[in-house]
Amino acid sequence: MELEKLINSLSALMSVTGHEGNGKAELESLIGAGFDESFTDAVGNRFFVKRCGREGAPKILIDAHMDEIGLIVSDIKDDGFLTVAPIGGVDLRTLQAGDVVIYGKEKIFGVVGSTPPHLRRPDEGNSLKEATELLIDTGYSKEKLSELVRIGTPVGFKPVYRHLFGSRIAGKGFDDKSCAACAVMGISRVAREELAGDVYLMLSSREETGMFGGAAPGAYSIAPDYAMVIDVNLGKTPDTSKSETVAVGGGASLTLCPVTDRTMNKKLIALAKEKEIKTQVCVTGGSTGTNASAVNLAGAGIPCVDVGLPLKGMHTATEVLDLEDAESVAALVALFVSTKDLTEVTA
Amino acid sequence: MTREEKLQLLSELCLEFGPTGSERYVAKVIKEKLGDIEYTVDRLGNIIVHIPGEGAPKLMVSAHMDEVGFIINEITDDGYLKFDTLGGIDPRVMCGKYVTVEGKEGFIPGVIAAKAIHHQNADERKKVTPHKSMYIDIGATSREEAESLTEPGNSATFDSEFVIFGEDGAFIKSKAIDDRIGCAVLLDLLGRLPKNCPFDLYFCFTVREEIGLSGARTVAHAIDPDFCIVLESTAVADLPDVPESRRVAKLGDGCAISLRDNATIYDRDFVNFALEAAKKKGVAAQIKKYVSGGNDAGSIHRSVDGVRALAISVPSRYIHSPANVISTADYLSMSELVLAIIENGKEL
Repeated sequence: MELEKLINSLSALMSVTGHEGNGKAELESLIGAGFDESFTDAVGNRFFVKRCGREGAPKILIDAHMDEIGLIVSDIKDDGFLTVAPIGGVDLRTLQAGDVVIYGKEKIFGVVGSTPPHLRRPDEGNSLKEATELLIDTGYSKEKLSELVRIGTPVGFKPVYRHLFGSRIAGKGFDDKSCAACAVMGISRVAREELAGDVYLMLSSREETGMFGGAAPGAYSIAPDYAMVIDVNLGKTPDTSKSETVAVGGGASLTLCPVTDRTMNKKLIALAKEKEIKTQVCVTGGSTGTNASAVNLAGAGIPCVDVGLPLKGMHTATEVLDLEDAESVAALVALFVSTKDLTEVTA
Repeated sequence: MTREEKLQLLSELCLEFGPTGSERYVAKVIKEKLGDIEYTVDRLGNIIVHIPGEGAPKLMVSAHMDEVGFIINEITDDGYLKFDTLGGIDPRVMCGKYVTVEGKEGFIPGVIAAKAIHHQNADERKKVTPHKSMYIDIGATSREEAESLTEPGNSATFDSEFVIFGEDGAFIKSKAIDDRIGCAVLLDLLGRLPKNCPFDLYFCFTVREEIGLSGARTVAHAIDPDFCIVLESTAVADLPDVPESRRVAKLGDGCAISLRDNATIYDRDFVNFALEAAKKKGVAAQIKKYVSGGNDAGSIHRSVDGVRALAISVPSRYIHSPANVISTADYLSMSELVLAIIENGKEL
């Protein structure tokens, strides 16, 4: 499937927060052809524009963040070991004995160290090492490694992709590059003359580190008439409740909360039903926990919807999603960019 | 075998499926590799190759086929697999890792998972999640779907790539190096034994080491050897954050010879003989400098009326995880060390 391939290709790129530009050429060759122009702004947001060809048409912003969680080299130790610091909300329970790639002058393979039961001390109990206490094993001498890696070199999960049963897939970096793939696919399915306006796809920077996100300045500079923010959403697992999650396989989620635009939500949900696009709602009392909160308040304010792709194991090297949900998200994007008067109150 | 062939053999064996009790898959590969060489399989599934040496003392050289893994003990209503461990695996290396699950037809991929970091409270984020709180996600969405794919009692292993890495490919990373490396060395040695071998030799590929050193117990009973050499990988921690006294051994300094571990006190004369033989042949070897772990020697040396035991182990970081790490040179030297001992066997 075309969408599966694109999700896999985009997710495999290393784009640890602050290093979103790493795969710029690959990104351009993967998705550039479907757009009229592309550019990068001062904070690392990457834009792809598809114009409708009409003067004075509205500007539509689609946001999916390009960055992913990861690690960054903090020191080079004897015998080719590296210490690291976390970037974003890395799940500490999943790091040890994992495969990583150190993106120095060359790509270097590394293993995150762990202690076997044979050598574990009883006083360690059930404590978990902080990311800064971990050692990355590179198999290099300190001397040689110092030529290839420096403090600040990013470290990413080694991309390994698996197709699980049915339409479920697993891999790293699905947060949020799977959504970027859905956005690209959705936009590509709408012919230029069918577009409701000029479409700005923003693959935004620095979402995972919170306060310094690229989405706010990005949305400000484009100043769109309205926007859709797409991010992965926490999928239901056996150890969580329905109210704090969305159903994997339940379709694209739309967040109902004070941040998102009530009119657009209602219209989209109704239209999606007509077109048999599977959606579900996700209700929250405050912020969306996504770029929608930043985009909404950019400049003089931007009406926005928040769309979620259900994901399990978020922030691990083995995130799991359902391709049928991804297809729903792509379809919803296509619907969003092709529907005129979305923000107009008709009721 | 050339260096490339040896690496290829190790890769093939490591990537094969064979958690404790489900060794039949890796056993099949080993039998294929044995080709025309005669072997017997005992009632537990141990593979035994006898190379007769009339009147000579009996030497049993063994390596275990099994690896640590998981066994499915429940399928949930929503299609997840609950599991128990086969052998000692720290929960710190399980969560978020790929696994290969024994299916009803062939193997199926899965992921060991637990609730996302976003749903953990501050206390949970700092603590180890026990394996009983984890589950394997195979992509099934219902009990019916999952039950059509696999069933309780089936097992699983880590799904992890075999990677030669580091400066000039000095290191190897894989699952199950413990103890497919011993199996690889046995297969290599079979074609390289000296003509006038001073031993009546038994090469044994054993089952169920990781739980109770079980398979080797019955083989040793049947063979009743005079000597045994156990080929293994041993846990070491030659890491910058571990004090010298607890590092056990160092990768790249040759295979480790044990004085004692938690299952065996080794035959001191045999140990000294092995060190001397290594020196004579110019093969690197080191003494394991820490009492930890245990291996099949634990059951072999106490079998029948007692057996003089030696353990030769490739030093390995992070064993019992998806990413065991060893030195390529240590692996390549293991056959040479065993050969040195066999060639000088008359003096033992």
